[in-house]
Amino acid sequence: MATDRRQFIHRSAQFGVLLGAGVPLLQACGSSDSGGDSKAVTDAIEDGLKPEGGPLRILNYADYVNPDTVASFEAQYGVKIEITTFDVDAEAVTKLANGSVEVDVFQSAAPNTLGRLIAGGLLQPLNASYIPNKANVLPTFDNPWYDEGSAYTVPYTVFSSGIGYRTDRIDPAKVEELGWEILWDPEYKGVTSILDDYREGLSMALLRRGITDVNTTDKALIEQAGADLGELTGLMNIKVNIEGYKDIPEGATTLAHTWSGDLLAGAYSYLPEGTDPSVLGWWYPSDDVGVVNNDCMTVTANAKNPVLGHLWINHLIDVANAEENFSWNGYLPPITGLDADYLIENEYAPENLRAAVLDDAIISKGLRFEPLDMETNQLWERTWSAFTAG
Amino acid sequence: MADATTAAVTGGDATAPGGHRSGTAFWAALASPGSLLLVALFVVPAYAILAVAFGGIDPILRTTVPAWNPLDWDLERFGDVVSRVFGGDLTRVFLRTGIFAGLALVGCFVIGYPVAYYVARKAGRNRGLLLGLLVLPFWISYLMRMLAWVNLLQTDGFINRILGWLHLGSGNRNWLDGDWPTVVFGLVYGYIPFFILPLYAALERLDGRLIEASRDLGASSASTFLRVTLPLSIPGLMAASVIILLPMCGDYYTNTYLTGGSPRTEMVGNQIEFFLRGSSQPQAGASLVIILMAFLTIAMAYYLASVARSQRESAS
Repeated sequence: MATDRRQFIHRSAQFGVLLGAGVPLLQACGSSDSGGDSKAVTDAIEDGLKPEGGPLRILNYADYVNPDTVASFEAQYGVKIEITTFDVDAEAVTKLANGSVEVDVFQSAAPNTLGRLIAGGLLQPLNASYIPNKANVLPTFDNPWYDEGSAYTVPYTVFSSGIGYRTDRIDPAKVEELGWEILWDPEYKGVTSILDDYREGLSMALLRRGITDVNTTDKALIEQAGADLGELTGLMNIKVNIEGYKDIPEGATTLAHTWSGDLLAGAYSYLPEGTDPSVLGWWYPSDDVGVVNNDCMTVTANAKNPVLGHLWINHLIDVANAEENFSWNGYLPPITGLDADYLIENEYAPENLRAAVLDDAIISKGLRFEPLDMETNQLWERTWSAFTAG
Repeated sequence: MADATTAAVTGGDATAPGGHRSGTAFWAALASPGSLLLVALFVVPAYAILAVAFGGIDPILRTTVPAWNPLDWDLERFGDVVSRVFGGDLTRVFLRTGIFAGLALVGCFVIGYPVAYYVARKAGRNRGLLLGLLVLPFWISYLMRMLAWVNLLQTDGFINRILGWLHLGSGNRNWLDGDWPTVVFGLVYGYIPFFILPLYAALERLDGRLIEASRDLGASSASTFLRVTLPLSIPGLMAASVIILLPMCGDYYTNTYLTGGSPRTEMVGNQIEFFLRGSSQPQAGASLVIILMAFLTIAMAYYLASVARSQRESAS
């Protein structure tokens, strides 16, 4: 079949993306090892194809998409959606790489592993003609650092890392004053937790010391961060988990290094009946220099239902569907119009958690977890392992 | 494990049924499909672990590239993990795991032995019912049972309420605060049915005439128990201990759920999970599995030697 002009331009742009954005990422991924030839898929599906018969298979975190949003897609296209879940990003990459799961859409890919997934030939470029709702996505994501021109991805959610706490137990002014340091305040021993994620945990310790390079390769800094976290074991009897979304609202935890989405999700889903959402507080660095991350939706290279996959992505970034999805999972879709004012006015988020709803300023100033070379990444992991070993 | 169970059920008597050569061959043939399956399910996964531990990493995807050919094995990373375990930052985790498993074993013995003894020797007509009750926990998944304990043990849970009603303690103790007794308790609770059942099988087969002879010769109940019953139940005890010790040492979710992820109670299984599932160095996780297996092999070897000794003493 002859390539028309539109396809030619599209493919040329994708090749440019690989050369422009993908290559630096790949260098970062494979710099410590020889080899690592890219197997990147550069051809998107053609325009105008009919949706397949399904079932549409999705790889996603558990409880990370509203069942109603799934049901409306199933009803619209007359297909079933099957969701396979994973717990951590590395697990998802492994499952995709070794073929133990075959899915059409990887719905929550981390930006810092995208380069590897693309270079490994596990993802296919998107054909924007199937995703007209892409116009709804915040302009900040038109050309994200991890995927130039959004050739392979559409952002699913965006969130920051900060401190969630109980305002009925801690004076918000104290949290504002101490910032990250409050996680080392023994007054809250036994009721404090940090995220069970080596990048998040060690970066938080770096930020506490004013070091904003959350992708550092400096061994001394990484080990210092590990030692600082190690203090928390005895000083705070720290818990290392990702349960903040329920533990803070339920009161089991008073103070937690957690994700903004956890607080927003917990405000209406996990607060005991009769408890006012104002008991929840959120702190993020006042200079907006903190970690911001997002999950990305992609179509896999071996998708059996690539058209459906595109349509599903399009479905999720429809404004009404995104709003419905947010109302259930609490993680903010980066959709124009779904800002703090709108979400608070429509009672999707309480006023006291306004800061947890990210705006353009926070997103654009946020620090990002970039890919680390193999050796550095393993140093981060080892340092984390030594900390969690107690 | 299957050998251990069999030995326990037969009271350490591993002699094949039959007696003639032809009969032995028949039973061996009958057992061969199952035996082959067991070998395959052990040998193949064990070799896969070696291949991962001594293998490499895909430079792009950072997934494991097993080295199936021993000539290609790279021992460097394994050596690194060994140095972390022996005198490095993972020593504590191994010691802690051993201590937790040891304490849980003692707990299982203290609680489980009287139960097994009662059901096997004293329950009479109620034996079937009691056995059914012992098996009942198996109907609910281990994970669910641990999650149930999270609710029971939390600060406003039933345990504190009951203690409050009984005026025992302050009634607001945080049992999930990363304390070792909670983890040991969880291990005891989770594994005690696996301890009681093989022990019950051994005690149930115990020759009652030996106990009667002891009493006829003037020994007290306590003396009969200590000098006859207990020594005779050692093979069953050993089997029960091995059966629960092996999985307890690799357990990670008991600690995860009952302490909210406290580094103070981290066990080897948690480290294995991190490296195998959430890191770019699965070789480290596989290396930890090998080291743990090496430790447990020592326990298993001791058990097998004990069974063999017991058989020799029975034969003589």
